[in-house]
Formats: sequence, C-alpha cells, structure tokens
Amino acid sequence: MANQHAAAATTHGDGGGHATVRTYINVAIMLAIITAVEVATLYVPGIPNWLLVSGLLVMSAIKFFLVVGFFMHLRYDHPILRALFVGPLIIAIAIIMAVMALFSAFLLLPRHVL
Amino acid sequence: MADHAATHAVHDPNIGNTGLDNRKMGMWAFLGSDCMFFGSLIGTYLAYKGKSISGPGPHDVFDIPLTSYSAALLLASSLTMVLALSHLQHNRVKSAARWLLVTALLGAHFVGNQVYEFTTFALHHGLTLSTSLFGSSFFVLTGFHGAHVTGGVIWLLILVGLAWRGQIDARDYTKVEIAGLYWHFVDIVWIAIFTVIYLIP
Repeated sequence: MANQHAAAATTHGDGGGHATVRTYINVAIMLAIITAVEVATLYVPGIPNWLLVSGLLVMSAIKFFLVVGFFMHLRYDHPILRALFVGPLIIAIAIIMAVMALFSAFLLLPRHVL
Repeated sequence: MADHAATHAVHDPNIGNTGLDNRKMGMWAFLGSDCMFFGSLIGTYLAYKGKSISGPGPHDVFDIPLTSYSAALLLASSLTMVLALSHLQHNRVKSAARWLLVTALLGAHFVGNQVYEFTTFALHHGLTLSTSLFGSSFFVLTGFHGAHVTGGVIWLLILVGLAWRGQIDARDYTKVEIAGLYWHFVDIVWIAIFTVIYLIP
C-alpha cells in the first residue's frame, strides 16, 4: 500500500488528475482511426495537393499531441516538464521551416508553381 | 497528507528543489534535445526532396502498406507500454513484465520490418546511403530512428528481466515511466516521419 502510494505520488502528484486505462484505450482507437484515414486519403483520386498535404499534416499533429498529452502524461504533468519539451519542439519546427525556406522547398505547392 | 508528501520529498534524493523527480526532468530535457535533432534531419530531408540527380525517387521505392503496418505496430506498442505502467502502478509486477515484453516484441518487429525495407531498397532498387541526396537523407533519418527503437527494445528487455527476477516493484514506477517516455517519443517521431516522408507526395 505504501509502495503504491509512493508510486502514485511520484507519478501523478505533479499536475493533478490522471489518465485511466479506458482513456488509454480510447486514445489508441482514435490513433488507429486517424492512421487509417491518413493512409486511405492517398488512394482517393482528385484531392488537390494543398488539401492533401495540409490534411495529412493536421492529422499527424493530432496524433502527435494525443500521444504526448495522454500516453506521456504531459497533459497532467507539471508546467516545467511541459516547457522542457514544448520549447525545443517549437525550435525544432522553426529549424525545419528555416531549412526549407533556405532551400526553397515547400510542401503545400508543387515545385513548378514556385 | 501534505506533511507526508513533504517528508517523502525530503527523503527521496531524486526529488529536486522544484519538487519534481530529477530523472524525469532529465528525460524530458533529453527528449526536447532529441526533438531538435530529428527536426534537423527532417528539415534536411525536405530540403533535398526532389533534388536528386540520380537513383530512384521516394515513390519508386516506398511500400506504403508495409510502412503503414510498421506505424500500426509502434502505435500499438505505445498502448501496451501505458498498460504495463498501469499494472506496475498497482503492483501487479508480472503482468507489467508481460506488457513490457509485448511492447519490446512489437518494437523488435518494427525494426525487423525496417531491416527488410532497407534491404529491399538496396538490393532491388539500388538505393543506398551514397546513391543520391534522397538515399543519404532518407537512410540517415530513418536509420537514426531505427537505432532509437533498437535502444528502446534493449532497455525494455532489461526491465522485463529485472521485473521477472523480482527486482522491480511499484516503488520503481518512475524508472519504468522514464523508459515509457522514451518509448512514446520514438513513436511520435515515427508519426512525423510517416506523414512527412512516406505519405506526403
């Protein structure tokens, strides 16, 4: 009992609240559905490039934040831990955009348009 | 209750001035730095995309059904990882060990698929690390991710061994949680790679 209390205090005492097994399973189902939709969009003819790319990026971002928020508990954790991850994540996205801009490589438009 | 928490904090050498576990903070800081590492590799891949002057292109070689299956394996392994943590939290150590083993096996299956994919690219399509800009940036990015997964599988198997020998219980939750954070991180990196590298035309 004391062990369980210690574990719980260490794990979820930082931000209050915690995910349950039911939450984990619901998140996994959502991840599976989004992944299936992502792959299925590739086989749908006639989707404009900008819509396909932006749709895939949005679905990927939703999956990313579901895993980080629920499976990694960041939604329930201390703001310091959130800052430790989100800060570098913003820098990483900035790096990707900067490198792409430097090389004139853009995702949303076909190259011959640029 | 507050006194108890304060006493717990005072006596636990892993709890720092912030009241947070130093090991957990260290892992989040590492994951943040790894984000920038993979950000650089993804940026490089995108910058070089379509600029190869020799060798096959991405959509000459990609096997989307196989890669989708690999993505599903990693997503499933994230679920089994949190189930392992949930069992450990309730001191069901053997069940936790079983879920950790399932997680490691799913990860090993992912690595096996990647080895098969790399081998197919090299032997059937003539795409290697030195063939083209695409080959270099693709193999470096996905290879580093595969190395991360391999490291995670080894880490999980060590935890399985410790749990099986009774050397881990609910008090060691944070040790397993940190391994879980690392494991989920390789999953989110794959979420990004799968979309940006494989799915976007």
